[in-house]
Amino acid sequence: MDLVLQLLFTGIGIGAVYALVALGFVLIFRATNVVNFAQGEFSMVAAYLMVVCVELGLPYWLSFVIALAGMALLGVIFNLGVYYPLRHRTYLPVIIATIGASILLSNSVLAIYGPQPQVLQGWFDTPGIQLGPVYLDSQYLLIIGVTILLVLFNFWFFEKTLLGKKLQATSQDKEMASLLGISVSTMIMITFIYSAVLGGLAGILVAPVLFVSIQMGSTIALKAFAATIIGGFGDVAGAIVGGLALGVIETFGAAYISVPYKDGFAFLVLIAFLVFRPQGIFGERVAEKA
Amino acid sequence: MKLTRREFSAGLAAGLAAPALMRSAWAQGATIKIGMCVPVTGPAAEQGLWAQNGAKLALAAVNKAGGVLGKQVELVIEDDQTTNPGIVLAFSKLAAQSDIVAFLGSIRSTQVQAMAPDVIKVGKPVMIGGTNPDLTHSGNPWLFRFRPNDNYSGRVIADFGVNTLGKKKWAIVHSTDAFGTAGGKALSEALTKLGAPPVLDQGYANQSQDFTPVVLAVKQSGADVLGTYFTFENDLGIFARQLRQLGVNIPWVGSPSVVAVSSTKLAGPALFGTYGVADFAEDSSDAAKTFGKAYRDAYKTAPDNQSAWPYDAITILSAAINKAGSTDPNKIRDAILATQKFAGAEGEYNFDKNGDGLHGYNVVKNDKGKIVYDKHIDFND
Repeated sequence: MDLVLQLLFTGIGIGAVYALVALGFVLIFRATNVVNFAQGEFSMVAAYLMVVCVELGLPYWLSFVIALAGMALLGVIFNLGVYYPLRHRTYLPVIIATIGASILLSNSVLAIYGPQPQVLQGWFDTPGIQLGPVYLDSQYLLIIGVTILLVLFNFWFFEKTLLGKKLQATSQDKEMASLLGISVSTMIMITFIYSAVLGGLAGILVAPVLFVSIQMGSTIALKAFAATIIGGFGDVAGAIVGGLALGVIETFGAAYISVPYKDGFAFLVLIAFLVFRPQGIFGERVAEKA
Repeated sequence: MKLTRREFSAGLAAGLAAPALMRSAWAQGATIKIGMCVPVTGPAAEQGLWAQNGAKLALAAVNKAGGVLGKQVELVIEDDQTTNPGIVLAFSKLAAQSDIVAFLGSIRSTQVQAMAPDVIKVGKPVMIGGTNPDLTHSGNPWLFRFRPNDNYSGRVIADFGVNTLGKKKWAIVHSTDAFGTAGGKALSEALTKLGAPPVLDQGYANQSQDFTPVVLAVKQSGADVLGTYFTFENDLGIFARQLRQLGVNIPWVGSPSVVAVSSTKLAGPALFGTYGVADFAEDSSDAAKTFGKAYRDAYKTAPDNQSAWPYDAITILSAAINKAGSTDPNKIRDAILATQKFAGAEGEYNFDKNGDGLHGYNVVKNDKGKIVYDKHIDFND
């Protein structure tokens, strides 16, 4: 039982990381109908910004604010440089452009910062709490907490605010939205900024656990992408549930069946979903929308 | 004879081009070229940089001492992207340059395995750092190893843990790539021979984000000592931290990555008190000390095995070509194999018929973040 609880905690913790990155995928997909393959690189860039600021001697909270502001700026640049010029083309050139951007981002950081992985201290001084038989890593607790907050925030933002409703309208039908006086390009700009910040947040939160390295983004993004498909592409709740499910499934699969095939379990689940329920867990709502 | 305008322009073109052509022809013969496949990008780009540093340090010394066969030596670097397809591509690019006389391959066994068939086809000497024993034991005459292979690391880990630390209940954790699998197997065999077969033999896939299942398996096995073969330092860092968090504090004797510079930095206190076998230990010999000082002076950072083996490889290869008196691959091969009692940064090189230069390891300890030399264990077979 102790073992199960420990595994459950870690599974949810790592799943929350996938969920955060998956959320970024989903938001951009909803607004633009393309998958942004540079989403993982957003996490990596933010983690490096954070490392740079902390090394400069800035307080942790200020570094955090600067890193997220930097991500907002990157979101603007990304939208203007990668999405905007191709917005009237089909989805394929845009997807390829995002892959190109992801390669550019990772190699730029490599060129500027060098290949050495970096250490980023966690938010808290205490590394964790021993709760009975279970060890709760403080950083994972923070990640889980932030994920819950973001779920609530997203619900409020998209369902209760005018801006959120405008964003939803844009993602559902761009032509109709613009006929109603909504500036589609502004909404898409806001979406890119928001996903860049979300991706960055995920990167900063996970950095103390997984270290800061060039490839940290791509390894998480791959799982997050699988989580998005499992949850149902385009669904915010689906991304969260898919991410958590994936984290728990791979952790338990590793513990009880085989450790070397840990990544295999994640992708087995993905394949099963693609075969038997390609629309994902929350897929029906997406079908209605279409 | 009247010169036509066309003849005049042809002559002018030839006249202008001649110095450039002559210069390139002259340049081809002016240096001895050594190709190097090394990660410039990918997960091991960091270590790749150190490998280049080590090679360049040796190269500078060789060139300062007059070069090879009276010519300066030049290093041609190609990015292997830390992947198997990457190194195959990098090697084929280098092999296409016919004036490259020998190569430096990878420190990663899996990459050496990937490039090995092409090495046989090319038929020129390739210096390697991969420690999977099979690499030099499967009939490939062109691979020369500048680090002790894992038969020795497994035996040294087992010998040190059983005889020096007095521990008999072993848990082995290893990567499932070519390096980790062979290492885990070698350690398991060595332990069985010493009458202490492992109670847990646990593989994991590289670039795992979480090691909780592995740590819990170690905990449940009731082992009183841990032996590891980790390929990537960030994996090791995550594992070490989770191991301590979940309360496993048994002695730990690991493969070289446990005492590598970047793991020591990443894992911090989680690795304090661990033992590692290290092919490179700065205090193990005078040659190692000399290399260490030169490296620190040049790059302002501590050296480790990633930079030490390319340093030795370039040094010994250059000496071998000089001794062979020619760049003929077979003559270079004979000269490398004839290298005996050569004091290198990694230890004393005595090449055997398989192309293995070293036959033992240092045991070092992480003493509160500082790597201290403990003892050297050498084998005669």
